[in-house]
Amino acid sequence: MWHIAKREIYDNLNSLRFALATVLLLGLMLTNAVVYLREHPKQIQEYQKGVAEYQNRLANYASDSLYKLAEQGPGNLYKKPSPLHFCAEGGEAFLSRYAQGSYHRWGAGTLESFWILAYPSTNPNLYNIRPNVTKVDWGFIIGYVLSLIALLFTFDTISSEREHGTLRLMLANSIPRHTVLIGKFLGALISITIPFTLAVLMNLLVISTSNDVHLGIEAWGRLGIIYFIALLYTCLFLGLGLLVSSRAQRSAVSLVVLLLIWTTLVVFMPSTLASIANGLSSSPMSYDEFRKRSSQLEDELDELWDKYYVLSDDTPEDVREKIRLGGEIVTRDAEQQERLHDEKLNQQISQMNRARAITRISPVTIFQHLLESFAGTGFERHLQFLGNIKSHAQQFRVFIAEIDQADPESLHIFGVREGMSEKPVNPGAIPKFEDTRSLNKDFNAAAVDLLLLILFFVVLLSGAYLAFVRAEV
Amino acid sequence: MLLTLIRRELLDNLMTFRFAAAVFITLLLVVANTVVLLKDYEQRLTAYNTATQESHQRLRKQKTYSYYIGGLVAHRPPNPLSIFNLGLDKQVGNKINVHHGFVPTIWDAEKHRSDNPFLNLFTSIDIALVFQGILSLLALIFAYDALAGERERGTLRLVLSHPIRRGDILFAKYISAMLCLLVPLLISLFLCVILLTTSIAISLNAGDFLRIGGIVLTSLLYVSLFYLLGMLISAVTRRTGTALMLAMFVWGFLVLVYPNLILTAVEITPQPEAQASAYNQIKQMWEEFDRENKQFLRNDAVLGPLSRNGEGWGFYVEGGEYTWGISEDKPSILLYFYQTGFYAGKIGAESEPQVPLLRNYYRFYNKETLNTVQRTWLVRKPALEAIYVQPAHLGRRLLKFSPVGLYDSATETWAGTDLAGIQDFFSAVQRYRSTVLDYFDDEKIFESRQWFAADHGTADWDALPQFSFQRSGVDVNAKRALPDLFLLLMINLSLFTIIFLIFVRSEV
Repeated sequence: MWHIAKREIYDNLNSLRFALATVLLLGLMLTNAVVYLREHPKQIQEYQKGVAEYQNRLANYASDSLYKLAEQGPGNLYKKPSPLHFCAEGGEAFLSRYAQGSYHRWGAGTLESFWILAYPSTNPNLYNIRPNVTKVDWGFIIGYVLSLIALLFTFDTISSEREHGTLRLMLANSIPRHTVLIGKFLGALISITIPFTLAVLMNLLVISTSNDVHLGIEAWGRLGIIYFIALLYTCLFLGLGLLVSSRAQRSAVSLVVLLLIWTTLVVFMPSTLASIANGLSSSPMSYDEFRKRSSQLEDELDELWDKYYVLSDDTPEDVREKIRLGGEIVTRDAEQQERLHDEKLNQQISQMNRARAITRISPVTIFQHLLESFAGTGFERHLQFLGNIKSHAQQFRVFIAEIDQADPESLHIFGVREGMSEKPVNPGAIPKFEDTRSLNKDFNAAAVDLLLLILFFVVLLSGAYLAFVRAEV
Repeated sequence: MLLTLIRRELLDNLMTFRFAAAVFITLLLVVANTVVLLKDYEQRLTAYNTATQESHQRLRKQKTYSYYIGGLVAHRPPNPLSIFNLGLDKQVGNKINVHHGFVPTIWDAEKHRSDNPFLNLFTSIDIALVFQGILSLLALIFAYDALAGERERGTLRLVLSHPIRRGDILFAKYISAMLCLLVPLLISLFLCVILLTTSIAISLNAGDFLRIGGIVLTSLLYVSLFYLLGMLISAVTRRTGTALMLAMFVWGFLVLVYPNLILTAVEITPQPEAQASAYNQIKQMWEEFDRENKQFLRNDAVLGPLSRNGEGWGFYVEGGEYTWGISEDKPSILLYFYQTGFYAGKIGAESEPQVPLLRNYYRFYNKETLNTVQRTWLVRKPALEAIYVQPAHLGRRLLKFSPVGLYDSATETWAGTDLAGIQDFFSAVQRYRSTVLDYFDDEKIFESRQWFAADHGTADWDALPQFSFQRSGVDVNAKRALPDLFLLLMINLSLFTIIFLIFVRSEV
């Protein structure tokens, strides 16, 4: 077996395709590194600016009073840019960089609406009149270019030997067929791994020698995982190449079939499937409907408002009742509205999830999802960020309640200035938003994709085995 | 003799597996995508119709002319040919305010609201993209063994032993392969057009069919270019295996790698910061406007003393129901303006003597606004050009080093979804704005009582000029596509010449 693999590798190393593949991969990986070094510092700068603003704002309101802080909320919460976005760009430009923890809607004289969580959307395309292209990240280099190269390395492994008659010669020896197949598979894999690893190392060398980027131990671990996923993905296409190659009588036919499969599967299927999926699934709450529901919810509070306005400021009972009613209006309103915002977001997310599930038919999409999960970019990561935001909002509210409880002068009625503690808050004590990621969670999110990829690989390789075993020589 | 050769080549090509596979895949992809794109187009059209109707109705509910600021909206209809090449049709704004506070441009437009912004994460696909990938691949697959294969098998020697000129052989091969490649192209386009005509949302006119014809012509040149490229590879290589390998790498590089690589490598993201001085200049002009406005109020014997803060700003009118203000401050697109006013359902008797003064004031205010906008536009226009248009043009020019870029740009131009086609719409909006302003000037609406009060007659919206937009004629599209077509043709001719020279001098 090793003999066959070694022969394959020697054959490949001297071939034109090996040289071309090496040049292509190196060029792409180096460009990727250089562009990353140009763009990453800008992203970090923007993020730090956002965080500084957030902290200043908090300190500002904290020094005013607890009520002010409770009314205004934590402010804009920023998503931490991933240092690994050179692996997968993940369409980050289309995902919002922050969530609004300060969405303020109305003020009615003495009452002010409380903050709720809102999720702004970005539309970078609005000002964009440039031609649209795919960013050259690892996802593109591996997903498209390397998979094509894998096919170019395997399309003739068996069919050309059959053409030349050497297959007959080899099988005349006492080598079992599966050994031949595995030998050829390993040979192709190793000959592709060499230029790919070289290119990856060059890429990482350029990136890690720069002063602007510090990749921690976790980042290197993630890179290692990404590297193995890339190899697995390449194996999948090697398997496909072997399968078609062992069925086809001539190598030219084998390549034509492979290329047609590849273009359909890799180039066209992801976007077509996404569009079809979106057409089929029910669309989420439209903006008009959202606005209608929002004002309906506001109308539900009309009864309370009427009562509120009738009360005068003359007797202490009336004043107390007014504070109570005001508090009820503000807190109920904030709760209802936030629930509505959440509902809209959840509907959008579930539509997106359905579409993403259907695009999983294409291996390149699976691969890109995996890459995004481990590089910490893209939709899955955005969902994690939204989860972090929600738990922070919860934490923030608990903190406000605790501080308010601690103040003996406060009436503990939320939503009105008179009902809450008016003492300034120590800015250091406020829980700060920290956008964290954990490898554990990423693994959970990626498990299905990983399994699917392995399944694809196993099916293709066993298909290739069956085809080869039954093939006439 | 030439005919015999063509017939032989044609039969050779038509009866192959690759031909059947090619036709099948192209048809499948084109039909699937047309259905999807058609649905998308219908959705955009519905959004356009609803939005147009809504803004029409909203404006008519208003009683004073000043409401046209923010209330008069022009909508951009989706282009039915965007199915062939989406271009910028879907991504730039399609809803824009028309008033005298600013000169409308692409960057000031907004979009009809999308229900799910996350869906932007998926890349969109169009017919041109399918052809771009599949047809070029097919052309190369047809071409790689055209010469190398015959040489390997020795049939070339056989053919040349007859009294045939070598040019004829090349020509016969070229013609027959092109005829074969035309089949998937034409059948799929035919199916696509049939699908389009069955949809009630789309009505194609004669001009559109000519434009589709232009797209077919461009596709033909594009396919021919790749076929010749494959033939060139086939002519210079000795073995079909090498030719095929080389052809695939060339395809991968030209179609897949180069366009993405070059635009990732070259920085063409807009840099609004570079034009900060222009923005400051614009801001200063508006501050000047503000000063003059306050000066006017201060010098006015009646309005001045009525001002709320003695600063000459915001007078008091009996019956004024509310004051409004609209302002924009977007440094990234150098947009800065503000407009204020008030609305009075019925002006009280106490304030009645002030009305002539108020009308005089608004004449001054609106004229001054127009002047300021004219002045800022002189700064804003070149700055926007430098920030957005120049990098975009640079990107497109860089793309044209690959035939893919040429093809994309030419089909985009035919479909009218290119930058120039989109800009046609915004020029129409700018013209419409001038018409409205002329109308206001003629009818003295800026200084009318109806500008701010609804008691002596209300705004007559029906007399207002209506906005309409017609896509530019086919001749304009053709003129714009001509440079790209010419380039494609020149590359074709030079490739053919090179192949001819190589083939004539090569040993068999």
